[in-house]
Amino acid sequence: MSEYRGCELPEDLFYDLDYVWLRPEDDGTWTIGVTDPAQTMSGRIQKSRIKKVGVHLETGRHVATLESGKWAGGVPVPFAAEVIARNEAVLEDPHMINVAPYTDAWIARVKPDDPQRVLDRIKTGSEAIEALKAWINRYDVQCMRCAG
Amino acid sequence: MKSIDEIMRGDHERLDALLAASAQAIEGLRWEEGATLLAQFQHDIIENHIAVEESMLFPAFEAQEGGDANHPLTSLLRKGHKDLRVFFEEMAEAISARDTEEFEGLLSTVQAILKTHDAKEETELYPFLSKAFPENGEAFTQAMAALKRK
Repeated sequence: MSEYRGCELPEDLFYDLDYVWLRPEDDGTWTIGVTDPAQTMSGRIQKSRIKKVGVHLETGRHVATLESGKWAGGVPVPFAAEVIARNEAVLEDPHMINVAPYTDAWIARVKPDDPQRVLDRIKTGSEAIEALKAWINRYDVQCMRCAG
Repeated sequence: MKSIDEIMRGDHERLDALLAASAQAIEGLRWEEGATLLAQFQHDIIENHIAVEESMLFPAFEAQEGGDANHPLTSLLRKGHKDLRVFFEEMAEAISARDTEEFEGLLSTVQAILKTHDAKEETELYPFLSKAFPENGEAFTQAMAALKRK
């Protein structure tokens, strides 16, 4: 696990190099969530909307929208996909995203239209970590661990 | 002569009213009217307001701040513009699909984004530029008008 300015950046995940992390699952689907620096920038998340299971999304469209008292934004999918599952616990308690962005507070699981194109717009490993560090610098983010 | 601050604040108010008018039409299930108003809003905010900011105001601000094109303020504002463009497309798609629930959800998010985004511009960017370029209000008004004619 890399850490930069207090922000956790797991090296084994894939990233869109903006808000989103992705994890490949054994069944060919991908789990999506928001990164630690992104949840930090957003502040305490109070409201979440996640697209319903079965909805199809084109590349770049939002699978979820999140709102805090000081910020609102979307969670885009980096490839065209269908929503297979959504995290009902996050819908019930959006603040979970601030506490466990990489684990319990995953947002949705999606099935890509074309598995061959999935890696076109996402990165992993050291290349991703360096780009995320630049992201953190660009937006001047300092992460602090949240106790809940 | 109006300052950059006054001109851009006034444009925020005009755009907010246009978006609210579109939302009101959708609420009343006047889909065609809502779509027309949203298209007008989209055009004015992207082709005029955001275009002016990204082509004139942000570079002017960055030049005053030492020429840093990755300044945290303008980086954040540019990112806001990029995100908003996607939301505007999604709102137009929700209207095409006659999906009131989806439209209202997107509207809530977009209005929340605009509220914080506009507040940041109005407190950190526009006053700074008005102070740095007190004589440029007239030239700026003309540039805005030229973009509106396109």
